[in-house]
Amino acid sequence: MLGFTDIIIFIGYILTPVSTLFCIFYGLLNWNKGIEEKDGDYREEIRWEKEEMELIEKLP
Amino acid sequence: MLYLITFILIYLAIIIYLSYLGFRKTVSVSDYLLAGRQVHPVIMSLSYGSTYISTSAIIGFGGISALYGFTMSWLAFLNIFIGVWLAFVLFGKRTRKMGKALDAHTFPELLGRRYNSRFIQGFSGFVILFFMPIYTSAILIGISRFIEVYLNIPFTTALLVFLLINACYVIWGGLKGVLYTSVFQGTIMIVVMVIVGITTYISAGGMINAHRELASLTHIIPKEFIFNGHRGFVSFPEFGSPVWWSVLTTFILGVGIGVLGQPQLNVRFMTLKSDRELNRSIPFTAMYILFTTGIAFAVGVTTNLIFYKDLGLSSIEVVGGNVDKIIPLYIDRFYPQWFVAIFLVSLMAAAMSANSAQFHALGASLSRDIFEQAILKGKSVAETTIVTRIGIVFSIFATLILGLLMPEGTVAKATAFFFGLCGSTFVPSYFFGLYWKKATKAAAKTSLLTGFFSFLLWTVFFHESEAKMLGICRFIFGIDTLVGHPFHVIDPQIIALPLSSIVFVIVSFFTRPVDEDVIRKAFRHI
Repeated sequence: MLGFTDIIIFIGYILTPVSTLFCIFYGLLNWNKGIEEKDGDYREEIRWEKEEMELIEKLP
Repeated sequence: MLYLITFILIYLAIIIYLSYLGFRKTVSVSDYLLAGRQVHPVIMSLSYGSTYISTSAIIGFGGISALYGFTMSWLAFLNIFIGVWLAFVLFGKRTRKMGKALDAHTFPELLGRRYNSRFIQGFSGFVILFFMPIYTSAILIGISRFIEVYLNIPFTTALLVFLLINACYVIWGGLKGVLYTSVFQGTIMIVVMVIVGITTYISAGGMINAHRELASLTHIIPKEFIFNGHRGFVSFPEFGSPVWWSVLTTFILGVGIGVLGQPQLNVRFMTLKSDRELNRSIPFTAMYILFTTGIAFAVGVTTNLIFYKDLGLSSIEVVGGNVDKIIPLYIDRFYPQWFVAIFLVSLMAAAMSANSAQFHALGASLSRDIFEQAILKGKSVAETTIVTRIGIVFSIFATLILGLLMPEGTVAKATAFFFGLCGSTFVPSYFFGLYWKKATKAAAKTSLLTGFFSFLLWTVFFHESEAKMLGICRFIFGIDTLVGHPFHVIDPQIIALPLSSIVFVIVSFFTRPVDEDVIRKAFRHI
């Protein structure tokens, strides 16, 4: 067990790279997912942009 | 010295250029606070990682690992599983969508708008403004200890000089400046830590051999630790012993769970354009944490073997009890001077990226959450950027004072304190706010206050190490702590977080939900 005799230590040690691999697989499997937002999003974007323009104009 | 000056100059030149790039591209309030909500996934992951893992993780927790052994690898696991996967998937995605729908610029603003309460935003801003400097100074102490060991200059001088360099570029760049520099800083950190990890295991005779030899070094652990349940560098502490409670509740669970309520990290989710970017950030962030904390913890433990072979002492004995000096001394003693200089620069990088993100969160708390909400009653003004900078200057001074006042060997403890406080105060309102439409304003208010005050009360009167240090309990009651074993070694968050969560659910059932319009707006993208 990589030189460990205590199973709890071994599990903690091994779970660190395993959880990293899990994150890598999760990222790769969902690489192209999540690009679409729900309806109505574009209105939010327009309002956001308008507000930004107003704020920029107000800046000294 | 020549190496150090050369590397620092090269490093500073790149940082100044990158900050300038950030400054030039910062035109609006949204740019300053959220980097325009269009951040690349790799930039996001490196900036999240380098904000999350800093000198406190490498110096403070590296030192703690040297003391408690491989038990700390459980924290490295939680850092990745909870701090990356759970934080990104369970919290990050909804935070991004809700942040956008509610036009939130800071973490307190997200909470405040979700519950339609100025008090919640103002109070959260207050918690951040007054307590985050404890964490920022922990990071500052970490780097200053290294400068002290390497350059052999007084700790106070090291602290002042470093804070001055750090302050300069934070005030200019805004979050874009912080994000650009984080990528550069994160990259150096990974390269340096991988080299340290590999060379440490090689000099200890290989990974398996190092672990085996560490098992035979239990006799060098200080007697009081053995008495309190420490069973060796490669064994988990004795179940139910003071060391077991302390390591598990304060360092492993306290920091492992507390990360979910970290405002300077949660604000990062709102910088992304879509969930796709968030998904793509996950692998890079996880690898960053593995290469930094994972390696730092393993190196920390292994220093015992290397110091023992060299001096016949354990790491904690070599540094005279100051855990924060273990990693700096190990690097300084066993690596060539040019590498020590690079290591120092990479630590400076880590400290600067984390500190700057925190100063940024602190500045935003003052301007956006306290100034606009509590003082101007919700009115938005163009002076926000200026007030943010005033907030940053205030937090830099607070950090300086705390950095000078805090006792030796407290980097990991101060970090755990802030993580625990944020976890207890924010996590229930944050989690239920994202997932439960019936979560009420009154519940969020009560839960925030319950988490905050129960955490502080437990710290001051029950948790022995802090209660003893603060001395308030002794002043009032004549004893160090009001409770006996095991309660005096249970971390405040383990008590305060369940309490604030239960309070949240109970109060939600008996109070009026937030206005339907607000809920509809908050959940419009979810």
